[in-house]
Amino acid sequence: MPILEMKDICKSFSGVYANDHISLSAEKGKISALLGENGAGKTTLVNILFGIYTADCGQILWRGKPVNFSSPKDAIDAGIGMVQQHFSLVQKMTVLDNIILNLSGNRFFLDRAAAEKRIVHLAEKYGLRINPKARVCDLSVGEQQRVEILKALFRDVELLILDEPTGVLTPQETAHFFEVLRNLKNEGYAIIIITHRMSEIMAISDQVTILRDGKKIIDLVTAQTNPSELSRYMIGRELKENYEIASSAAGGDLLILDQVSLNRKGKTHPLHDISLHVRRGEILGVAGVEGNGQKELAEVITGIQKGYSGSVFLDGRCTNKESVRKRYENGVAYISDDRHRDSLVTDMNLTENLMLREYCCEPYSRSGIINPKAMLLNANRMMDEYQIRASGKSGAATAVKLMSGGNQQKLIIARELTVDAKLIVASQPTRGLDIGATEFVRNLLVSQRNEGKGVLLISADLEEIMALSDRIAVMFGGRIAGILNREDATVEKIGLLMGGVTGKEVEQPC
Amino acid sequence: MLTNRYQGLWNVLKILAITLAVSTGLILACGASPFEAYALFVRGIFGSFSSFAEIFVKACPLILTSLGCAIAFRTGFFNIGAEGQFYVGAMATTIVALYLPDVPGFIRIALALVAGFLCGGLWALLAAFFKARFNISEIIVTIMLNYIAINFLGYAVRTFLMDPAGNVPQSAKIAVEAQLPNLINSTRFHAGIVIAVFCVLVVWFLIEKTTVGYELKAVGLNQRAAACNGISVMKNIILSAFLSGGLAALAGGIEVLAIQKKLMESISANCGYTAVLIALIAGNNPLAVLAVAILYAAMQIGANSMQRQLGVPSAIVNIIIGAVVLLILGKELLSSQRKKQADVQCN
Repeated sequence: MPILEMKDICKSFSGVYANDHISLSAEKGKISALLGENGAGKTTLVNILFGIYTADCGQILWRGKPVNFSSPKDAIDAGIGMVQQHFSLVQKMTVLDNIILNLSGNRFFLDRAAAEKRIVHLAEKYGLRINPKARVCDLSVGEQQRVEILKALFRDVELLILDEPTGVLTPQETAHFFEVLRNLKNEGYAIIIITHRMSEIMAISDQVTILRDGKKIIDLVTAQTNPSELSRYMIGRELKENYEIASSAAGGDLLILDQVSLNRKGKTHPLHDISLHVRRGEILGVAGVEGNGQKELAEVITGIQKGYSGSVFLDGRCTNKESVRKRYENGVAYISDDRHRDSLVTDMNLTENLMLREYCCEPYSRSGIINPKAMLLNANRMMDEYQIRASGKSGAATAVKLMSGGNQQKLIIARELTVDAKLIVASQPTRGLDIGATEFVRNLLVSQRNEGKGVLLISADLEEIMALSDRIAVMFGGRIAGILNREDATVEKIGLLMGGVTGKEVEQPC
Repeated sequence: MLTNRYQGLWNVLKILAITLAVSTGLILACGASPFEAYALFVRGIFGSFSSFAEIFVKACPLILTSLGCAIAFRTGFFNIGAEGQFYVGAMATTIVALYLPDVPGFIRIALALVAGFLCGGLWALLAAFFKARFNISEIIVTIMLNYIAINFLGYAVRTFLMDPAGNVPQSAKIAVEAQLPNLINSTRFHAGIVIAVFCVLVVWFLIEKTTVGYELKAVGLNQRAAACNGISVMKNIILSAFLSGGLAALAGGIEVLAIQKKLMESISANCGYTAVLIALIAGNNPLAVLAVAILYAAMQIGANSMQRQLGVPSAIVNIIIGAVVLLILGKELLSSQRKKQADVQCN
């Protein structure tokens, strides 16, 4: 008998169904996967279960009894734990204090010794190695995730919900994480894992519920299905795996980084002695777990990050002294991983955002006076060419904050990929996009490459890197851990480099 | 969109109703008849041509200081120092007007006002410097600079600027040819008002129609994105701080040359602080600043007539303005809360 049953759950936000009569169940000793694209309603559904939202209709049965949690605390008290995509840990507190934070059994005087004993015991039992006295801010992302899981286990939950748990992990960390999940499953925990990665579902789950556009499409037993069937249900069509990569016609060097390092006061080097080159007509993929210097690398090349040592050459010319604008004019385009912070002024409208680079050029302005007609003309042309959808009524005057992520990204790409662009620095260009927009962006990058431009593709998504890149550089700890040719690159090799095993050791496995 | 416009109108009506209720309550509380009070209020404003002209006299410094605040706020530079910049401008203008007796009147006026503008602008730049160099909030720095400027004026009119002919803490009188002329007889409607309105139009054009305005807006709304796209954040903050301080200082200079004709303490009547409120109410839009400043001045004139004839304290205008600003900010809080809820659904 299922420990949890959610029946016909509905939830709408201002008239749009995020959940349209969705049912979901979980059993003790089983791992249920919840599969769907971005915006399919996965997170909304578990947020309803966890008491963050209230369902418009439908019923939740927990241990056979109808329940309605009004807050996460109620859900936790009832025995449901959730590890959110973005961890909710107090960075400056220790692991131990984070785990016992807001525990219902807490007295005025905390019994830290007893708590620590229990944490060590739990950690050993399930392979969640952690030092209870370490401060959270000193931990890796994988370790922080372990703290989150321990936090739930410490509260004697019976059901554990994991929202996109592997997005931030290296392949090796993921393998270990799956071990932990199997241990938990064998101990009788019910587990719901939310993900959009087929391989993980096949590897770990017992049953799959697939959502699309807020509706439940189907329940499947994992053992009786395969990835292509899953993807068919999830997106309604087969995934396109192969991009038209013309045989490598890479020309001369376009971008050269020579011993670039970046120091910050008192901290470790965000970038250490980076030397690499990007040729014309080539996509150089940069893989690595996020936060290993990729962002700094992109900003050194685009000129946003100043005060680095070493040299950056574009077209054989040293660009060290050139400003962001000068570099753009010389052909450096930038698609940042943080659309809202770096690339868009979300309170301005579509037309104005398309102009962020060229507002001071003719015909968009003449001797400092803006020409709104030319700007609008440009906006309409870009909306056509790049299929940017804005609200029907306001069109080019739509505030960017009201546009969907995919359309925002198209806007940025429309602005950056001008005729004059020579080098495209694309950082996580498909993050948060649905399948359609993702393919659109990937095809554009490939066609830029085929036109003879250079592309530096930074991505945490290994599949993306491997599908698009001619060569793959892997970053670890601010260094280039290794550069692999397309033919030699395997998930295994890249994974080891991402985990900090240097290139030489990959060549000679022990 | 249409419903939005009705929503906006509805909000304005609500604020108006609350304002009316509060003021009626205050009038009743001091034992006067609200009807009589309101009649006097209206008569104070429209009663005579000279009292109507007085609205613009009162509005003039408010327009310029609020305009300065609006420019700064748009660029994300929270300049609370209009008061101090006003005083710096008043001092600089007075010094030039007094100590260049041989320069012909018109040129002397122009030089005096330009000197005021420059000094006020530089005064505000100090805050921008502290922000850029030491990362200290410009709010704190501009407030501190206010203390320095206000008290330095007190020091100046008691020492080197003191009128040698008297022993009152004020400067000598500015020669008639260096005063800003009256434009309409039997009123105090002066040339400075025209300058203020002209400034509104220039700033509006700058903000709405030029690449300078586009840069200021982009920097104000998202500094980081502006920098990532090659717009210089520092240059724009410096520019907006300078213009902002300059406009507030111009208000001070005009007040000296057109109204007081000499420098003395409390010359600003706190308009540098009122300016912050007016800029907020006007949503930092130059044309709206003009309208709100005139409206505020009209309310003040009306309230003064109430006070003179009924003994209802004119302070109620300031109570009401405070309440209105709170309501407007509260409304924004409410709507941003709604926005947050809307954002959540996208996740």
